[in-house]
Amino acid sequence: MKVNGVAIDDTFAEAFGMSGTALIITADSAKWAMIAATTMTGFGTSVIGCGAECGIDYEIPASETPDGRPGVRVLIFGFSPDAILPQLKNRVGQCVLTSPGSACYNGLDSSQRLALSAGPRFFGDGWQMSKRLGKRRFWRVPVMDGEFTIEDNVGVTTDAVGGGNLLMLGRDRAGLLETAEAAVAAIARVPDVITPFPGGIVRSGSKVGSKYKGALASTNNAFCPTLRGTTETELDPDTIAVLEIVIDGLTSQAVSNAMRVGLKAVTDIGAAKGVTRVSAGNYGGKLGQFHYHLKDYVA
Amino acid sequence: MSGLKLRLRSVPVGRLDLSCLQPAQLTAQSQEDVARLPFEGGTLGDLFEITSTNDAGTLVLAQTTLACDGIGDHLASGTLIVEGDAGQYAGRYMKGGRLDIRGTAGNYLGAGMKGGLITVAGSAGGYVGGLLHGEKFGMAGGIIHVGGDIGERAGDRMRRGTIVVAGKTGAAAGSRMAGGTIWAEGGFGPGAGPLMRRGTLIGPKADDMLATFADCGLHDMVFLRLISRFVAAELGPLAPAPLPSKVRRFAGDLASIGKGEMLLTG
Repeated sequence: MKVNGVAIDDTFAEAFGMSGTALIITADSAKWAMIAATTMTGFGTSVIGCGAECGIDYEIPASETPDGRPGVRVLIFGFSPDAILPQLKNRVGQCVLTSPGSACYNGLDSSQRLALSAGPRFFGDGWQMSKRLGKRRFWRVPVMDGEFTIEDNVGVTTDAVGGGNLLMLGRDRAGLLETAEAAVAAIARVPDVITPFPGGIVRSGSKVGSKYKGALASTNNAFCPTLRGTTETELDPDTIAVLEIVIDGLTSQAVSNAMRVGLKAVTDIGAAKGVTRVSAGNYGGKLGQFHYHLKDYVA
Repeated sequence: MSGLKLRLRSVPVGRLDLSCLQPAQLTAQSQEDVARLPFEGGTLGDLFEITSTNDAGTLVLAQTTLACDGIGDHLASGTLIVEGDAGQYAGRYMKGGRLDIRGTAGNYLGAGMKGGLITVAGSAGGYVGGLLHGEKFGMAGGIIHVGGDIGERAGDRMRRGTIVVAGKTGAAAGSRMAGGTIWAEGGFGPGAGPLMRRGTLIGPKADDMLATFADCGLHDMVFLRLISRFVAAELGPLAPAPLPSKVRRFAGDLASIGKGEMLLTG
């Protein structure tokens, strides 16, 4: 099927069940809330190599944050709640606690909880103070610019989904990147999802396994344009580049919503920027529990 | 389920223990059944004029005096409105629900309280949110709002929860406090926080501050925003104005472990 000159493959994105949590980071200004959020979600592209997949969900106006200051909601995904916990400890401890004027709160309503303050509060060396307000408990950790305030625990869900994806193929590398950027911008407006790779875009799609021992994944040679003619290929003769958007969400519905708006953003631009085809990555449907069929998202 | 109103037929001549009057139990029964319940050698109907109301789950006690003790003792759910004064031990060991006292309250208001909300339109006696002799800890949760002043040693051995006073506290508020917050809009009486271990006292001024509280300086703390918003959400129109951006912090009582604090807004 073709939409606005772009071919849509009759295939599906195959995604996996994950665990996810959300934090609200506030600071004296939106600028410093974003700096803390950007720093703590860094090196969080792939759960295999980074320990967690992290990203910024959205900015929160001061009127809607727990302390009335500008904030940012960040999402963190991992294989399990137990796998997320050390990531929380390290990322909040090294990147949020250290950021001037910051505070860190729960950003997800869930009965299952993780001990958000378990590491950072001990930085107080015995001077940390707890304050329970209603059902919520906060810690005040003395630091050099006053106090770092952190909520005691954070909600975590095991209903999260990681690995929703869109593959964009084209005959113009610059136009393809522009189109992918537009799709990422559209997905960014969907709540409860992140696109964890640099700028939301992956240029190094992988396949499972490698010829080298110890490597869990390696380049997806079937989608590498420079290997066309030397290996089995999935590419058309005029394809010179492929970019991928990976989507993680707190729910399958959120990932589905993101797939829909991402695909629409690509087809709205159409072939004008050199995009020729949209596909999706899967493992034949045998590995992931969640399948998102592209044809379901074409209006 | 409807509501009930129990109006005292006459002013009690001695102290009256009303701790057994629980909204959840009484409003689940008919007006006639409640009137037949045994009480103090007679029946509730002998002592109270009982009428039903349209406020489901709400029990109203009217014409009460400071001799009426134990109102809302161990209250777990429902609303109890006191159209009069409440004697000692009102809301003692309360776990949930709401106790509204339209008059004044005696000593030990909310002593050992664990949850729920108590409001007092007038003033309250000593040991608000405190503990009785032989007990280990005072208030451990919930919120108390007093529209007037309160007596001495409010929050004695308090662990958690929040006490908001529109007026002033008596002497030694926050004595032996182990946690929680006392916010006195009118300030603290003499010698607040003796042997206070942890917890927070907030007010515009403190009379005769103990020498064992150390001045930590003027600070802008995120925590001030959290507690202002929390109290506003819980108390609505009764809530005090939000705290200023900066308060002067005093740490104490340094005669104990000194991890408590007094935050002066004035």
